[in-house]
Amino acid sequence: MGDRFELVIVGGGTAGWMCAAACAAKLDPARFRVRLVESEEIGTVGVGEATLPQMKDFNDFLGLDEAEFMQATQATFKLGIEFVNWGREGDRYVHPFGTFGRPIGEADFFSYWIRAHLAGTAAPLSDYCFPIVAALQNRFMLPSGDANDVRNAFAYAYHLDAFLYARYLRGWAEARGIERVEGRIVEVEQHSESGDIAAVKLASGARIAGDLFVDCSGFRGLLMAQTLGVGIEDWSHWLPCDSAAAVPSARSADFHPYTRSTRRTAGWQWRIPLQHRTGNGYVYSSADISDDEAAATLLANLDGEAMAEPRVLRFKACKREKAWAHNCVAMGLASGFLEPLESTSIYLVQMAIMHMLTLLPSGPAIDPALPCELNRVMDIEYDRIRDFLILHYIANEPDAPLWERVTAMDLPDTLADKIDRFRHRGHVQAYRDGLFGPPSWQAVFVGQGIEPRAADRLADVLPAATVDERLANLAATIADAAATAPSHADFIARYCPAPAP
Amino acid sequence: MTGPVQQVIVHGGGVAAAMAALAVSRAYSRLGTDVVWVDTGEAPAPHAALIAPPDLATFHRLLGIDEAALLRHAAATINMGQQFAGWSGGDAAFLHAYGDAGSAFASLPFVQHWTRARAAGLRVALEDFCLAAAAAKQGRTGAPREPATRQAVKAGWHLDAAGYAKLLRAACEQADIRIVPGAGAVPHRGGAGLDRIDLADGEQLGADLFIDTDAALIAAVDGGAEARAGFCDRIITASAPAFDPLPLYSRVAAHPAGWLAMIPLANRTAIEFAYDSASLADAGAPAALAAALGRPADTAPPAAFGAAARPRPWIGNVVAVGPAAGAAPPLDGAELLLLQLGIAQLVLLWPIDRAAMPEAAIYNEELAGTRARVADFTAQHFRLNARTGESYWDAARAAPVSAELAAKIDLFAARGMFAHYNHEAHVEDSWALVMAGHGVTPRSFDPQALLVEDQALMAEFQRQLRAVASDVHAMESHADALRRIRG
Repeated sequence: MGDRFELVIVGGGTAGWMCAAACAAKLDPARFRVRLVESEEIGTVGVGEATLPQMKDFNDFLGLDEAEFMQATQATFKLGIEFVNWGREGDRYVHPFGTFGRPIGEADFFSYWIRAHLAGTAAPLSDYCFPIVAALQNRFMLPSGDANDVRNAFAYAYHLDAFLYARYLRGWAEARGIERVEGRIVEVEQHSESGDIAAVKLASGARIAGDLFVDCSGFRGLLMAQTLGVGIEDWSHWLPCDSAAAVPSARSADFHPYTRSTRRTAGWQWRIPLQHRTGNGYVYSSADISDDEAAATLLANLDGEAMAEPRVLRFKACKREKAWAHNCVAMGLASGFLEPLESTSIYLVQMAIMHMLTLLPSGPAIDPALPCELNRVMDIEYDRIRDFLILHYIANEPDAPLWERVTAMDLPDTLADKIDRFRHRGHVQAYRDGLFGPPSWQAVFVGQGIEPRAADRLADVLPAATVDERLANLAATIADAAATAPSHADFIARYCPAPAP
Repeated sequence: MTGPVQQVIVHGGGVAAAMAALAVSRAYSRLGTDVVWVDTGEAPAPHAALIAPPDLATFHRLLGIDEAALLRHAAATINMGQQFAGWSGGDAAFLHAYGDAGSAFASLPFVQHWTRARAAGLRVALEDFCLAAAAAKQGRTGAPREPATRQAVKAGWHLDAAGYAKLLRAACEQADIRIVPGAGAVPHRGGAGLDRIDLADGEQLGADLFIDTDAALIAAVDGGAEARAGFCDRIITASAPAFDPLPLYSRVAAHPAGWLAMIPLANRTAIEFAYDSASLADAGAPAALAAALGRPADTAPPAAFGAAARPRPWIGNVVAVGPAAGAAPPLDGAELLLLQLGIAQLVLLWPIDRAAMPEAAIYNEELAGTRARVADFTAQHFRLNARTGESYWDAARAAPVSAELAAKIDLFAARGMFAHYNHEAHVEDSWALVMAGHGVTPRSFDPQALLVEDQALMAEFQRQLRAVASDVHAMESHADALRRIRG
């Protein structure tokens, strides 16, 4: 067994155990030895984490049982994110995990909607989206499986306790041969010539050597930043929030199958319903509000009793310059940070894992094309999410100092053109890979008041009356279909009831 | 906003102008848009043939061109791929077929398993697992009734260029597009573009949008096209007797000074001999062609072969399409592919407002990306050639390529994976067949492939080869397929 490829994962949070679990599922143990080094977790309380539908793909990739996973993590279903007070005070919209409408003619549905909307004959865009209509009635069902059914045109994600998820994956991965090494790392040993990481040394004196290291050590980036000196691209001038106060509260009667994000004076507040409690947090710019005031605002805006004192987190919007340098791949907070406004943290970990697995070196010598590709695709992922987050910030009333600043800032070029093109004709470029397809952009643009002035000309071919009739039929079909779905609370109680903690 | 585009002039000749006029008219005459085609009279070069990639078959449905008409008027034969011979020296050849390169299994692309097996000593080429390639080589086409492989098999056409141009022109006439002969039209500037063109007979034609395929109009609003590195600067077209039976693929044979393409048509074989004038003098070219063919052929004189392209094909209200947008890469059916994509994108981005067209910036971005990726596909043949010791080919191998192509080749060579970019016009399996055909066997593979036991892997390979053979057997011959299509 001495010639096995040695993979060492440093850090055992969500990122570390997701990575370990994926290795357990997909690497031949006769050829790969995978160890995870962590020091005993100090009993932190999960504040609730919202995810994207890709997480279901990850769990399926591992082969997890969905109901069991949801029970183990106090998870609930998520059909999208409701944005409250974004755009203008009092406005609300949902960014759904699904498309708007269904094909009507030669043009895409959105073009027909623009046309009818401009003529004053369309209902709000959300009425043509099954997951939004169902979500706002606190209903949930699994996709029906029938491609002709509006109840199939969506995907779903989870709200979960990320700490419990890591714990669940730890058990799963350890049962499949991943070695967990307990201990605090006190020294990182590098090869003198190449600078590659040779081993990590623990307080106990143990030395853990490896061919490839995965840095899941969190913000500090023990290997990537502190040892290899890979810097960050600082994006805080575009995304100025640098702090969050988080607190769990008692589960309330409103058991939403969606995340809520409410814009506030100095940032925004999240609400993530779990089975046993609700996760809450206020993401804010410390230049615009004091920690005490932020905590007070958070506590004043809970819909259940607070179950702890608010905990404060500090961060900076950034991306690590390289996700893979030397023989080290960074994941999770070690690879950068983007605020959880679009629930992208676990997705980014998942992407880094999937790409790393397919690009894993076949021996200690690393073919440079492998890190080159991983860095290229992770850059694309980060850049796309960054632009999408900035869009949420800039399309607002300048009703407080923070919002005055962000609505007047210089944009990345990639984003400025996007906004102009959307206004001109609802144009959204479809990407080859990466997050946020056209329906996501459409939802946020329209939801925050950036409306197209015209639609594709191909949408003008059908007579207006035909378009109006098809839109009306579709909205009615969706409303009827939503009424057939059970309540989210009932569905969870039947499908995956978690034990009280 | 001042109002929609009502009057359109298409300016140019041959295939490009007719296709543009037809596409625009079919999409927008329903909205009251009037299309006038000012025919500059250019016709396809003598002997010219076109390689239509599979996507064009779909586009033909939008244009209302039926397959039987292609057979009747353009001597069409079915195109399942392109064979490259001698690109690694010697006689070795491979087929870039339009279809899946093996069937994915164990949640991984076939190439990953193939790479692993090659490392363990397998000799079977990637294309042997490709149904489209196996079928094309054995003269079989169409879809087997109960497929054992479930592999995609796609086909385009080989077309006689002059016949195809006439067919498109007839379709324009049928669509009531006004066609005005108009060589030597003089463009008149207006705003950021043109407001009218004056024909030689004095007629003045105004329009909201000008679609230019011969470059006289775009040149009035834009500087010249940017010169780009080409692979050859001369071309001779010629004809030889038709093959019997008719092959389902064209053949591109490397030559010490360039390459020789043979495109099978129903009534002749079209020949394109491209060469580099620094390696072969024009005076010696016809003899070199005859030597390569093994007999003299009916040839046209050598013609210049450009490589320039416009960075911004849409300026103001003038859109350059086809040859006016730039020379297409010389292989892989790139000419029709770029023409079709350029026209389809214009139809999609049809301007909202005749007075200001911000669509131009989107269009130029999309087309620059598309052109770059299509050019990469062709450039890989030259980058990966293994004809060492011949100055033309040594230089072609050393010529600079785009960063995207370099990364794509590096990653495939390292891992059998594909770096995807926006605007890709060729699917992964096409890249795999071509790179593997040129001799690139990936150095390593996805370690997840190791979860398949050696014996299970060999059994799956044998199963796939048998499935390919049985599907080929269940397909029809080229002649039967042409008879069926002709009706």
